[in-house]
Amino acid sequence: MAEIGSFALLLALALSAYSFLAGIVALIFQNRASSQLVGVTAGGPGVTPSVGESSLATMLRQGSERIGETARRAGIATFAAVLLASVVLVICAFRNDFSIAYILHHSNRDLPGPYKFAVLWSGQEGSLLFWSLLLAAYGFVLRLRYKTDPRLFAYASVVLSGVQIFFLLLLNFAAHPFAIVTGTIPADGNGLNPLLQYPEMVIHPPMLYLGYVGFTVPFAFALGALIMKYPGEKWIHITRRWTMVTWAFLTCGVFLGAHWAYSVLGWGGYWGWDPVENASLMPWLTGTAFLHSVMMQEKRGMLKMWNMWLVFATFWLAILGTFLTRSGIISSVHAFAQSSIGDWFAWFLAITLIVFLFFFFKNKSHLRSEHKLESLVSRESSFLFNNLLFVLLCFTVLWGTWFPKISELVQGNKVTVGAPFYNRVAIPVALLLLILTAVGPLLAWRKTSLESLKRNFMWPTVGAVVVAVFLMITPQSWGSPFGLKPWQDISYFYSLMAIALSVLVTLTVASEFYRGGRVISKHTGQGMFASMVQLTHRNTRRYGGYIVHFGVVMVIIGFAGAAFNQDKEMEMGYGDKMTIGPYTLICRSYTDDDAPNYASEWAVLDVYKGGKQIDTMTPVRRFYKASQQTSTMPDIRSSLNEDLYLVFEGLNQDNGHPILKAHLNALVMWIWMGVWIMLGGTILALIPNAPAPVRVPAPARLERTQAAPVVTGD
Amino acid sequence: MTWIPLCLMLAIACLYYVFYLPGRLFLGPEKTRAGYLRERKDAVYENLRDLNFEYKAGKVPDADYASLKSSLQDEAATLLAEISRLESLAPASRKPRV
Repeated sequence: MAEIGSFALLLALALSAYSFLAGIVALIFQNRASSQLVGVTAGGPGVTPSVGESSLATMLRQGSERIGETARRAGIATFAAVLLASVVLVICAFRNDFSIAYILHHSNRDLPGPYKFAVLWSGQEGSLLFWSLLLAAYGFVLRLRYKTDPRLFAYASVVLSGVQIFFLLLLNFAAHPFAIVTGTIPADGNGLNPLLQYPEMVIHPPMLYLGYVGFTVPFAFALGALIMKYPGEKWIHITRRWTMVTWAFLTCGVFLGAHWAYSVLGWGGYWGWDPVENASLMPWLTGTAFLHSVMMQEKRGMLKMWNMWLVFATFWLAILGTFLTRSGIISSVHAFAQSSIGDWFAWFLAITLIVFLFFFFKNKSHLRSEHKLESLVSRESSFLFNNLLFVLLCFTVLWGTWFPKISELVQGNKVTVGAPFYNRVAIPVALLLLILTAVGPLLAWRKTSLESLKRNFMWPTVGAVVVAVFLMITPQSWGSPFGLKPWQDISYFYSLMAIALSVLVTLTVASEFYRGGRVISKHTGQGMFASMVQLTHRNTRRYGGYIVHFGVVMVIIGFAGAAFNQDKEMEMGYGDKMTIGPYTLICRSYTDDDAPNYASEWAVLDVYKGGKQIDTMTPVRRFYKASQQTSTMPDIRSSLNEDLYLVFEGLNQDNGHPILKAHLNALVMWIWMGVWIMLGGTILALIPNAPAPVRVPAPARLERTQAAPVVTGD
Repeated sequence: MTWIPLCLMLAIACLYYVFYLPGRLFLGPEKTRAGYLRERKDAVYENLRDLNFEYKAGKVPDADYASLKSSLQDEAATLLAEISRLESLAPASRKPRV
């Protein structure tokens, strides 16, 4: 089996190399043939092209078009070859083929089936193969849809093939997933990292990778459009859905990672500003900025250079993220590999930067803006500030993530920055972004007058202030988030601001639906709800986007809950009590269990609230036999107000007493609900618009005869 | 050694798929400046539709609406003028190349 996998990888490399080189040759000759034909036909009156010149150019073009087609097909065949290699690796995992080093190191006989499937992305070689598979799959879809715009797709296909070659080179020559074990083959494997043996780990990496890899597609189109000086913004229309789908996958991946950290790592939190977490956040930040700013390019032909840089940065940061996760260059709780592929990535990152810079400076003139910013109070400026904030946050995260490496290079010793460093920037930036999320949709394109501002903001602002005052004056005994006294602690101040601004965003989003629904209701006579549904269907992108904003608001409220978190740790024998917040925990017993893959110890605790038993919780500690590692499985009781989070930390080495840690985490469920709403909004935004039965009067000033040329389309 | 014929078959299938090109190729229409201007015109029309809707929804005051509408109409008129100039220069429209 391993030989088939190895051959499939070599074949994939040959095919993608052909796709890349033949694609370039085809495009060069097509350009040359087009310029010859243009030169021949543009000879001017009286200049008749010779039959030889014309037929040579035609032959050149036809030949190059056929070469281009073979390049496209080679790209499609690459997918088949990489898919075969991946299937072979998964089959080897299920067959317990420990003659393959990768299977030996990442699987064992008693590993449950779903985790055997997840072996594909659990180690470095497999995850690089998975990266390559997803890229080939995206390329497959792209190359099948080439009829949308064959020439632009041909450029994008070449860029994708270039990236694919890098990953296939890595797989064939630096991190081979089918490397054979030398000497005696062990009877059982070393097993999968216990931290990865959790249901979400079966879907979290694929989601994250679909996001990482997916941003290669908008980048390929953007670079292709830049190289060919593509006239117009149609490439944005073509990539819009790709970008949104990719963003949704990345969002899902980032938050699944947060949920996994919350449910498995046992420290009671969901985000620790770990380098690998940061690696997934950075492309998400620039990708989110791109999703917003690209609207300015579509609507107003502005920010073309900025968008080009954003889409490149997103792609580049996604590669950097894969590098961080896989190289082990920076210490992380979940950098699951230590290897020497860092040099390969460093070279690839450098080459992509050089290629991008070359074409950017060569064709920069093609990216000039068609309009200027007319007013600081406009939709354009809100997008601009939104972008600056996203980029500032991304830069902060980048700096903090790489600071240990930078400090090691400069001072000789590693200095790591922690949560306070990131929070100092991230919290104010998030609050400012919330303000812009509220303000942006209500501002008009080009400029907004004071009267318009008053008209649109008065009631949402009043609503937000009322809620803030209410939260301040209510007693703390009502539970979180009531009784917030911002003067008591800076974290309370931030929480209050976050909740008040979230209310502001919610009210502005609601007012958008209400006002739009009212117009449709007036014209169609439908009820308000039906009108709002129709309104959403007419402009799914805009109203889907508002729903995403609402999801973001819920996530932010969930984050704001962190100000109210409590935790307590104690040794608990039979019948011992622990009180945390409104809960009383009584230890009932301890028990253990033995499964083929792991042995486990359980603590059994009765949970009381208001003197009444409401639940029994069982935090677990597992010992994985194959890897000889221990892992905790917290038990979490979630409600809308708070999560009761129990961790069985093990036995006190001195007296043998079990140690239990309890966390009371406020409003965490809001985060997970918010993510579902964000994903729902994105899916809605992907639905095509219903045709709007609205007539627009044709512009009445067609009498201009000597019109100044509009912006160039080259 | 059963893997050798399998790999050979795979390689041959890929080569056949890549290099056997029966029939004519789909090349799509060439992108012209007029086509680009039509896309811009569509974008401006969409902006006008959005503005009208926001005005009807009560988000844009009368004075703002008049000024924004006028500038969008100017932009559309400029585009339409150049489109008609280009169309008068090249009356025969290009058909998609197949």
